[in-house]
This record gives sequence, C-alpha cells and structure tokens, in this order.
Amino acid sequence: MDSLQDKVLRQLQEIFDELFLDEIIVTPELAATEVEEWDSLTHISLVIMVEERFGIKFRVGEVEATKNVGEFINIIAERMNRLDG
Amino acid sequence: MSRELENSKISEAIPTLSKLLSNNKGAFWQSLINYTDAATTFNEMISLAAIRKKALKSGDIPMPSGLDSTLRIALIGGNSLYPLSSLLEHVVSLKIGRAEIFTGDFNNYRAEIVDTSSKLYQFNPDIVVLLPDNSICRYTGTINDLDEDIYKASESLGSDLFGLCSILQNEIGAETILCNYIPSPYFDLGPLRTRSLASDWNFKKLVNLYLGSKAPNFVHILDLEFLAYRIGGLASKDEKSFFESKQLCSPTLQVALAKEIVHIIEGRKASAKKVLVLDLDNTLWGGIIGDDGIDGIELGDTSPRGEAFKALQTYILSLTRRGLLLGICSKNDYENAIEPFRRHPEMVLREGHIVSFKANWKPKAQNLIEMANELNLGLESFVFVDDNPAEVENVRQFAPSVASILLGPDPSEYVRQLQDSRLFERSSITKEDLNRTDNYQMESARRSLLVSSLDMDSYLSSLEMVGTIKKFNKIDLPRITQLINKSNQFNLTTRRRSETELEDIMTNPSYTSFSLRLSDRFGDHGLISVVICRAVDDSVLEIDTWLMSCRVLNRQVEEVVFNEIVELGRTIGARKIKGFYKPTKKNSMVKDLYTMLGFDPVDSPQDSVEFELSIDAASHKATHISITGRE
Repeated sequence: MDSLQDKVLRQLQEIFDELFLDEIIVTPELAATEVEEWDSLTHISLVIMVEERFGIKFRVGEVEATKNVGEFINIIAERMNRLDG
Repeated sequence: MSRELENSKISEAIPTLSKLLSNNKGAFWQSLINYTDAATTFNEMISLAAIRKKALKSGDIPMPSGLDSTLRIALIGGNSLYPLSSLLEHVVSLKIGRAEIFTGDFNNYRAEIVDTSSKLYQFNPDIVVLLPDNSICRYTGTINDLDEDIYKASESLGSDLFGLCSILQNEIGAETILCNYIPSPYFDLGPLRTRSLASDWNFKKLVNLYLGSKAPNFVHILDLEFLAYRIGGLASKDEKSFFESKQLCSPTLQVALAKEIVHIIEGRKASAKKVLVLDLDNTLWGGIIGDDGIDGIELGDTSPRGEAFKALQTYILSLTRRGLLLGICSKNDYENAIEPFRRHPEMVLREGHIVSFKANWKPKAQNLIEMANELNLGLESFVFVDDNPAEVENVRQFAPSVASILLGPDPSEYVRQLQDSRLFERSSITKEDLNRTDNYQMESARRSLLVSSLDMDSYLSSLEMVGTIKKFNKIDLPRITQLINKSNQFNLTTRRRSETELEDIMTNPSYTSFSLRLSDRFGDHGLISVVICRAVDDSVLEIDTWLMSCRVLNRQVEEVVFNEIVELGRTIGARKIKGFYKPTKKNSMVKDLYTMLGFDPVDSPQDSVEFELSIDAASHKATHISITGRE
C-alpha cells in the first residue's frame, strides 16, 4: 500500500510537470536550489497551486522553513490528515 | 453549459492540449484559447500558461495570425505584481498579441510615476495598470467625524490617484487602467460598519464611487470591488499571501483581475455590437406559436415561466435604449410570428421595436446575412440568440462573425445569460445611441419617399437636408471615437484610435479635423462623418482619416466633405491634396471614391493606393445639403 506521503509525492510530480517547462523528477531530497526554474517567483505559484490542488492552507512562514520536498510533503500530509480526521 | 460540464471540461484541459501538441497542431491554439476563457482557478491558468510556453519552446507550432502585434504593459502598484504578471501575459498573448510586461517594484509606484528617468519611463508603456496600495485607502480621522469631512477625504484620495494618472498621460502618453479598492469582508465594527462613512467598508466604497464616476477619459477604472463581490468577499482574500509575498488578493481574484485587464484593453478599440437578433419560440415566449396559438404560449404574469420570458423581453427593451437594434429570426410562418407582437397583451416588445423581422423557413445564417445587407451593417456587429443548439451551430458555421448566445434550459437564467455575455458593454452612451431605432425607422420612411419621387435630384432636394461642420471638440469626442472604432465600410483608411489619441490630434497644430452632422425633414442623423487631415508640409494636405456612417449613403455627404477638405487646403495654402485608400475586407464601397471626386492615382505601395489632387483643379461640388453653423 502506498503511504499518504507517496500519494502526495505523485500529485506533486503532476504539479511540477504543469508548472515548470523543464522535466523535473520530484524526490523527497530535491531542494529548490537544485532547480534553475524554481526561483522565488515560481515558488509563489507552486505554493498557491499546492494549496488549491490539495484543498489545504499553509500557515504564514511555514513553507519558507522547509529545506526540501520531503519536508514540504510532510506538511501537506499533516494538513490533509487533519482535514480527514 | 452547466457548471459541472465546464469543470469536467477544464479538468481535461492539460491532457487534451498535450495530445493536440503532438498530433493535431492546427487545433492547439483555438483549444488553448477556449480553455483559457473557461479557466477560473490559479491552477488552471498557470498550467495553461506553462503549456503555451512549452508549445512556443518546441518551436514547430506557429502562433495564429492576428496575434503578432506587441503591447507594452506596465504593472505598477502597492503590492507584489507577480504572479499577476504571469497570468496577464498568458491572457494577453492569446487575445491581443505579444505582451511585453514591466512590473514595478513593491509599493514604489509614486516614485516610478513622478521620476521621469525611472525604469517605468525607460520601458515606455502603451498601457499602465495601476493597483494602488490598500494601506492608504483608510479614513484617518475618527469614526464620529462629520460626513462632509469623510466625503472630502475620499475625494482627495481619488483625485490624488487621478493626478498620478494624468502625469502618465502627459509624460508618457499612456492610458491608465486604475484598479479600485476591495472593501474588507469582515464583520469588524458591527452596526457602525454601515452606519459610519469612516468604516473601512464604507470608506473604500466612497472612494470607489468617486473613482468610478469622476474618472477622466484617459483613465479606465477596473472595478475590483465588483470582481471581488462577484467571486465572494472571503474568497477574494488571502491574508497569508499578503504577509509572505505582499499579494493584493487571493489567487482566484488575481485570475479574474488579469482577465479583466485584458477585457478593458480589448474594449478600448473594439466595435460595439449593433444588432440583437432573436429567435421567438422558447426564446421570447414559452411554447410554439404555430402549434399552441396566441392563447397557448407562456408569457406574462400568470405563471413563473411566463414571467421569466416577460422579464427577458423587458431587459431586451432596455438594451434598445443603449442603442441596440432588434431583429427577429424565426422558423415560422410570418402571420403566426407577428401576431403576438400585434395582439398579445403581455408582449413587451412590439412591432415598432423591430428593425428587421424574418419569419420564414430559410436557414438562419442566410437570414442574418440578408438582414446585414438590408441594414447596411457588418455581420460582426450582430448578436444572435436562440435556444436551439442546431440553429446556433448553423450560424456559427455559416455566419461565423456573428456572436451567438445559446440559451440554456431554464428561462429564469435568460436575462443573466445576456447580462453576463459581455457583448453589450459600452464605456459611454452617446445621443446617437439613444435615437438609433428611430433613425432606422426614419430610413424606411425616406425609402418610401424615394420610391414616390421621380428622380434622385428631386428626392434629395425634397429631403431639406442641413449639414453642420465642426472642428473636433470635447463634447463630440465620444461619438467621434465610436465612429472611428466601428466604421468599416465607408472608411478610407480604417485607422482605429482611442479617445486619448484623438485628444492629442485635437491639440496638435499640424492636424485639422472636422466632423459633420446631418439632419433632414424626417429627423436628425446626428454626427455621421469624420475627417482628419494633416498638413505634411506647406504644400500638401494629407487625408489621414475619412469615414462616414452608411446610413447617409447617397445623400451627397461625400461631396460636402470633399468641398470642405478643399476649402481647408486653400486656407493653409496647400497646392495638393493627398488621399489614401487602404483596402480591407469591408471597405470596397469607397475603392473609387477619390477617382470619382477627380483625384488621380499616383502610387500604390503594397497595402494602399495613393491619390492626388491639385487644389487649382478642384471644382466645387453642388449638393442639396445646406451648410449651417460651420466653425
């Protein structure tokens, strides 16, 4: 069985495919600094897309504090769990 | 289309477009445009924007033609202007052409406007979109202050913004799209929220009222308050994104905002729709007149459905007061179709409101084409409304320049569908608009006179025509702008210009421009011809623009205008008059105008024919129009 984290990762891959022009393989270890297109501006769009797609709201400053995709996924998963429960 | 259908459609957008990208390149752009029109969320728009960029990057899908011009848009304001700039770029590129977008620094718009050496000036925009900061739109006194003081504060805020816009107009020549304010949707203040003009809720609305009703003509107000109301106050807000990246509003409202900016840009020069053509059965009334009879159709206050149809008619009648003409196009026997207009007590629309009534069994597209010929109007100024998808499809295929509205299954939605179609919007309503139906009805009276007159000369003389020639002036400018942007047929050069550009021409000494009004014993035609001349040097007067409303064709207005142009040439001491004919799809009727007036063709650059007339050789043309009130 897929964990929630795996599901989130797959959906995140879809968002990356739609947002970025280059093909980017999304992994938990991936960080913004490794992707040329992922600058502070596209980051704003990415956060908005994730909120809309997953139906969640991040808290102020929360995403900025994450170091890589894995930590980002953890917040998404946690927020989704709270919605379910 | 139901909301569910739209959603399921838009959710398939990306896979569908990706497929088209690899195997049906021809359909890609139109499909992208349709999906973009339907898109309402940030996700949808950004994904569509990305797939467009991928298509361009791949390099083997050329952009559709007509989108090759470049528009320079500056976005400045009190907030972060990304991702709005991305959304805007996407919509502009599909609707207008290549977009060069400048984004100002966060909350630096005053400096950018006042400092003529700023990056904004270096960018030299065609259009400036100004989103002023929310933080200044607050009443700084106390909640108990006198209403007059609060009004005064709102006005000074508004006029300060207009001041900034007029700097942009004077220094750059750019028109400004000025966004108004979004009143806060929170319960704060309770009863005082509505009681005191000083509350955020009331004060922002006061400022917005001032901006909307007092905007000078080089300022286009973007009604953000309305857009926020439309999608919902709470849905318009996103507090976190303000703190994190200084966003003005929620992503969903930014999508609506980007689309509205483009709508305003397009609307500046678009020609307004002139004729609304309506189906009858299940459009103007419920049921089939040929089967149900005049007593059987549903119309009027006796049933909810009947009331809904009547409400539609009432709304349509109100459109005629904005200058729209009405036509009927129905598959019916004429006698059946006309009967409710004459005899049904609940009919709001009557025979006198209809300028062309087609009730027959011919294809509707064919009827529309005939109607356009009769009224001397282009099909692109027609809107067609029908509840039958097959009829709408027929028109879309065979008269594609007609805009059509397919009514849904519920007549209670009909008025809303028309009101939301965005086809009947006007930035101003001129006196000519208010009298238009009368004018067309007068035209039929004149035509019957023509039949009874023995020859053209005595017919024209019997009309007792009076012409008034005037230099361009502020009062006439809205009508002049309207004619310049919508006249297609009698238009020698078809140069479109905005009101601001025309104001510049008014004050530029090398231009001489005039308009002509015509009236006759049946009534006033209003302002029907516009000429812009430019003195190229001391010896040549060039006719930059010459157009005329087709409803005064064959009335010798051309000759009167010609006489006036020659007179102008003599006044400035010119030896020659130069004219151009720039062919378009629609202006072939004036192909031979200059030749007929005695001009000689001299040169034919690729897209136009140039004509010349020596002033000494110009003869005064006798007409039956007496000229009064020249100034």
